[in-house]
Amino acid sequence: MATPSDFPPSPPDDKSPIPEVVTTPSPTPPTTEAQQASIAQETPKQQDSPPSVFKNSEPLREDQIQNAIKFLSHPRVRGSPVIHRRSFLERKGLTKEEIDEAFRRVPDPSPSSQPTVSTQDGQKAVSNVQPQGQVQAMQPAPVVMVPPPSLLSRFRWYHAALAVGVLAASGAGTAVFVKKSLIPRIKSWVRRIMLEEETDPLKKADAKPSLAEEAVAAAKAASAAASDVARVSQELMITKSEERKYFEDLTRLLGVQVQEMKSLSNNIRNLEGNYNNLPKVYSADQEVYGGGLVKTSAERRSYANGSNIDYDTRSARSASPPPAPPADSSMPPHPKSYMDIMSMIQRGEKPSNIREINDMPPNPNQQLSNPRIAPKTKPWDYGQAPQEENANGPWWQPKNPRSMDFGYETTASRSIGIQNETNTMEPAALPRQRSWVPPQPPPVVMAEAAEAIRRPKPQAKIDQEAAASDDQSGVSDELQKITKFSETGGDGSGNLQITEIQEEREQQQFSQEGN
Amino acid sequence: MPVFKAPFNGYSVKFSPFYESRLAVATAQNFGILGNGKIHVLELSPGPPGVTESVSFDTADAVYDVSWSESHDSVLVAAVGDGSVKIYDTALPPPSNPIRSFQEHAREVHSVDYNPTRRDSFLTASWDDTVKLWAMDRPASIRTFKEHAYCVYQAVWNPKHGDVFASASGDCTLRIWDVREPGSTMIIPGHDFEILSCDWNKYDDCVLATSSVDKTIKVWDVRSYRAPLAVLNGHGYAVRKVKFSPHRRSLIASCSYDMSVCLWDYMVEDALVGRYDHHTEFAVGIDMSVLVEGLMASTGWDELVYVWQQGMDPRAS
Repeated sequence: MATPSDFPPSPPDDKSPIPEVVTTPSPTPPTTEAQQASIAQETPKQQDSPPSVFKNSEPLREDQIQNAIKFLSHPRVRGSPVIHRRSFLERKGLTKEEIDEAFRRVPDPSPSSQPTVSTQDGQKAVSNVQPQGQVQAMQPAPVVMVPPPSLLSRFRWYHAALAVGVLAASGAGTAVFVKKSLIPRIKSWVRRIMLEEETDPLKKADAKPSLAEEAVAAAKAASAAASDVARVSQELMITKSEERKYFEDLTRLLGVQVQEMKSLSNNIRNLEGNYNNLPKVYSADQEVYGGGLVKTSAERRSYANGSNIDYDTRSARSASPPPAPPADSSMPPHPKSYMDIMSMIQRGEKPSNIREINDMPPNPNQQLSNPRIAPKTKPWDYGQAPQEENANGPWWQPKNPRSMDFGYETTASRSIGIQNETNTMEPAALPRQRSWVPPQPPPVVMAEAAEAIRRPKPQAKIDQEAAASDDQSGVSDELQKITKFSETGGDGSGNLQITEIQEEREQQQFSQEGN
Repeated sequence: MPVFKAPFNGYSVKFSPFYESRLAVATAQNFGILGNGKIHVLELSPGPPGVTESVSFDTADAVYDVSWSESHDSVLVAAVGDGSVKIYDTALPPPSNPIRSFQEHAREVHSVDYNPTRRDSFLTASWDDTVKLWAMDRPASIRTFKEHAYCVYQAVWNPKHGDVFASASGDCTLRIWDVREPGSTMIIPGHDFEILSCDWNKYDDCVLATSSVDKTIKVWDVRSYRAPLAVLNGHGYAVRKVKFSPHRRSLIASCSYDMSVCLWDYMVEDALVGRYDHHTEFAVGIDMSVLVEGLMASTGWDELVYVWQQGMDPRAS
């Protein structure tokens, strides 16, 4: 299928804000001639290949770029990962080009975090850039902060290594620090005593004992320092052994759970029957939801990071499952059983109803079965009401398509020219199309001629629309009368009518929206 | 109106583009937190019970979304919580399924959407911040789109332009992409909170709707994207899914954590035109049939799947 437009990869030369671009959502495979023609009439500027409407073609806004540069130059911002900075600027409404320009103007310390690089086919590049960027970001921060939820998942390994390293470093640091603080304190204390004893007439006599005392004090200080070091290293060992203990506890619990699964499965089957009768019990515990979700998963991660290494991939869902709600609104009440399961996961238990399932393809090279039905045309592709409208069909088919009203006026109250619906094309006028799938309408060859002919009609059509109240079929009959008149070479077949009416409608819409 | 009771919590429901009476449901055990998943293929029948299951597939992890192929009438694609994308062929016996399993996403795959124009490719959106483009016959993804700063909740193809798609993410932006371009072509900071869903207007290829945790649905025109065309208020909690009608230009269906399914006409002053309160837990999945005008289906964490005609009560028997 021909693609609608080819657009230049860089912003277009004209600096007009939001050029009036026309895309023809007509069912025909759009041709560049048609687009050129319509654009020539809509906008004063002529381009050979109109820029895609799905691209942002505004010029760079200098004020936004300046704000972005100020933001990026802030020292705290510089320590944050590039992806966060980009995301913040995007949320402020800057376009990609503006963000790139701001980054270019501000010297960027972390060279490896270029998100646009990784959209190629190389997924390895993606995974390589990610951990690099994150490790770099983590290194300047000596204190271990709880990372934002988006980075939690990638920190499993690094977090573990980092935690152990930090523990060791802090242990050694405290030892050194204590040593450094203790010794000056002892020295000053010794000095004070020395001074006191200098004034004492028994100075000489005390010289030796003071020396001895000094030696004793020094020995005490040394032993104190040594014991501190020993203590700290012992603490390190203890934490390590604690972690190992948690690990073993978890594995043990898992084993217990596996054994209990079989006995509980019968109970669950019984309970399933009663499930419908369970009353809704809402948990009013707002702390658990939302912020709690992020917190608890962070906790989970921090203690279980070592043990996750050996888990299979089916360990509990990590953070960011249900989206965090806005801070000012109340939390949606979660079902009680949901809260139960969440707390179970937090405790490290696995729900007992999970089965071991092998869902891998038995034959990875299995051929697809041959399709039995050809793909159907979509209702929006031929701009018609769907074919299936017989009242004798099964219950799910509408008996009367017009009874889709929900108690509100559709076309009557609105005098805007925007067309309500293709349903206004009363298919009663074309009953033969109920069981007939119309082929794709042919492309419009002489678009200029067709439009020139159709020019005066949109006005007439709008007046008619406004005049006709609920008489939808009347309107559509008028439509068809008019189009029949305008048909030059047309044979009055349904196709061409629909095409042209559709294009007319789009024309109207554009003239409306172009204002 | 038929109701189907699933063993697990419902997550997504999709009508088949080939058979009017067929739909697929994605479900997850334990609300999708931790547990198995299941895909049900349901058939509607004129007489009671109204809906029956024709086949189901078990998965090791939760299934968050399912999408029917547009080229093969019996094929569907599933987005699974262990990061895999699985393809099932209902014409083959269940033991032969799945026929493919692609393990590339680093985290849960939250949505899958098949290309309705080109009919040969599909997109998956994942919590690993990426969107991937796949084809049925390729063993690996064709493209990976990595720009979002947080989970991507949905990626949807444009119904008229086969190369354009939109993605909604937890980084509060909506991005428009073109597969021919290396990166996104537009970034719309649509909401101040996470954007959970987006969908294109089938009759106006430049208009799309987004739904967010901030309880609103916003309708955007990409030609003037600085301000939305409309802001639809009415839901009491986060709006989980939004869907444009395949038959009416300005009709939108949405489902929310306030357990309701709402219908909106964004071109009308008083936009809320319908409301259904049939679910007793979060309503998370909704679809409108392309083949049968007015036919809708919804599913939620109450493990029920409802199929009904607009204007009728989903719980009517």
